[in-house]
Amino acid sequence: MEQQPIVELRQLSKTIGKKKIIDNLNLSLFPGQITGFLGPNGAGKTTTIRMMSGLMKPTSGEVVVEGQTLNDHFEETMSKVGVIVENPEMYKYMSGWKNLLHFARMDKTVTKERIIQVVEQVGMQNRIHEKVSSYSLGMRQRLGLAQALLHRPKFLILDEPTNGLDPAGIREFRTYLRKIAVEDGVSVFVSSHLLSEIELMCDRIAIIQNGQLIDLREMNQVEEAHYYIEAQPAEQASELLIAQGLVLEVSGSGFIAKVEQVQIPSIIHSLVAANLEVFAVQPFRKTLEDQFLEMTGGGQIAESHKK
Amino acid sequence: MLNLIRNEWMKLWHKKATWIMAGLLVLILIGVSGIGKWAQSNMMQPENQPTWEQNLTETQAFTKAQLAEPNIDKEFKKQLEEDLAIIDYRLSQNEPPIDPGSREQHILDSNTMLSLVLMFAVIAAASIVAAEFSQGTIKMLLSRPVKRWKILTSKYVTTILYALVLTVIAIISAVIAGFIFYDSGSGVLLDVQDGKVVEISYWGRVIALYALQFVGVIVFTTFAFAIGSVFRTSSLAIGLSIFLLFMGPNIVFFLREYEFTKYILFTHIDLTGYITGNMFVQDITWPFSVAVLLMYMLLFLFISYWSFTKRDITA
Repeated sequence: MEQQPIVELRQLSKTIGKKKIIDNLNLSLFPGQITGFLGPNGAGKTTTIRMMSGLMKPTSGEVVVEGQTLNDHFEETMSKVGVIVENPEMYKYMSGWKNLLHFARMDKTVTKERIIQVVEQVGMQNRIHEKVSSYSLGMRQRLGLAQALLHRPKFLILDEPTNGLDPAGIREFRTYLRKIAVEDGVSVFVSSHLLSEIELMCDRIAIIQNGQLIDLREMNQVEEAHYYIEAQPAEQASELLIAQGLVLEVSGSGFIAKVEQVQIPSIIHSLVAANLEVFAVQPFRKTLEDQFLEMTGGGQIAESHKK
Repeated sequence: MLNLIRNEWMKLWHKKATWIMAGLLVLILIGVSGIGKWAQSNMMQPENQPTWEQNLTETQAFTKAQLAEPNIDKEFKKQLEEDLAIIDYRLSQNEPPIDPGSREQHILDSNTMLSLVLMFAVIAAASIVAAEFSQGTIKMLLSRPVKRWKILTSKYVTTILYALVLTVIAIISAVIAGFIFYDSGSGVLLDVQDGKVVEISYWGRVIALYALQFVGVIVFTTFAFAIGSVFRTSSLAIGLSIFLLFMGPNIVFFLREYEFTKYILFTHIDLTGYITGNMFVQDITWPFSVAVLLMYMLLFLFISYWSFTKRDITA
């Protein structure tokens, strides 16, 4: 994948008081790619996102959008960026339409036709002229998405985007993100606590802990193969498997073994030959949650550095 | 920039408080006039009121007595001489002053009601930035391709426009109240210009008084705007501004003997003194007042721009 990145974080650091919140963060985000951003509470996700959306200034390092630094070319770079902050707060005393009009006026390229188009895209056309204070959380999320898409950003930042969406809404949202990523080549950066969400939505995940990027991986990467094996009597089965050089981990009434696919037939064969009753032999995929907890050491909240 | 101001204007008028303040202004201005008229008509009117000639002759004698005192201040002496010239002119030319119970005098006096406008404008100025923080909308507002100083400027301009609209509402309400409750009276306004007594335009004087009061509104509004954008909370900005509005004249009064009082903001807030001749502190001229006011305004604006453009959004 030798593409030009849309957004680059270069040696980004942020110190608040004496505490280093973000420490030398480097990250490139590419067109058409959805990158998940994970980390325990207090790891620095929000701070990173705020620096990328122009709300905070980095102590050192820079955010670069298509070769221009955010700090020196604020208006040019921000016109390529769409932001949905956690729980999009709108002007509740105005209608959804007026809110969109408000944000549209802040960008020269957005026309009335574009607002209408975006309203239809997020399925809000029936209630867009009602006051935002009468909207449900899900509708506010849709409005939040609409305002971020108005100016056709090349880069979309989403902070906890599915808060308050119902399952159907989440799926629709996911499909939509995928669509704009594939069709329009938008680069999407999603932070979330919902690991299963990230797993379903993203091509790539970046994991941050204590202000440092600790892992960056492609989701379709071939993982080490694990299999779940259940056979009775269990003790005999475990002895037999250990004798074959497998490392076992007890899981429920069976075991999880780290084993290559090619070995499976011979293992089954040996179990059957030893006259054991085989109930299950199935591929076992560690969930992102397991991997995440493993990597971040249980995900305890990073040392306190309250703002 | 025009679009940003339209945005702020739209947000301002979608808030109930904005309409309530405008409505209250009309109600209070007309209500106060009505109550004043009612109180006046219920008062016992003594028989044989002195005529304006009798009143002026009395004042003339008093002013002459004051002028005769040996060591009076030079400025004060000049003021008294001008007063005397006007009185002499009125008596000799038979030009009565404006009847105190007339519609004209009522409208002329109504400029002091701009303190109400000041209070409302301060409330709007204090919350125009702070509300974005308390609503959480600041994050949406500042992650746009618009530099922060432009957004702050649009907010400041909108605040001043709102103050202007309230002032116009106040003038119109005062005139309407004048026409409802008071009858027109006779009389002209006189002033001394280049050593000669001349008749001056009535509406010109009304506008001048309102304009000078409006300067005070602008200064306080700017102060509240700055406090609101630095501390990001409207209650502190409103409280502090209103506190200073009431305490300011007292502070000046207590410190009037000291030289540095000349540089205190509150000495210069009420510029109508330059027209009516009621000044607390001597030895200041209006260009000096304008310079001091401008310095303070620039200071407030500098603090507010600095804070708004440099600081991180952590809300």
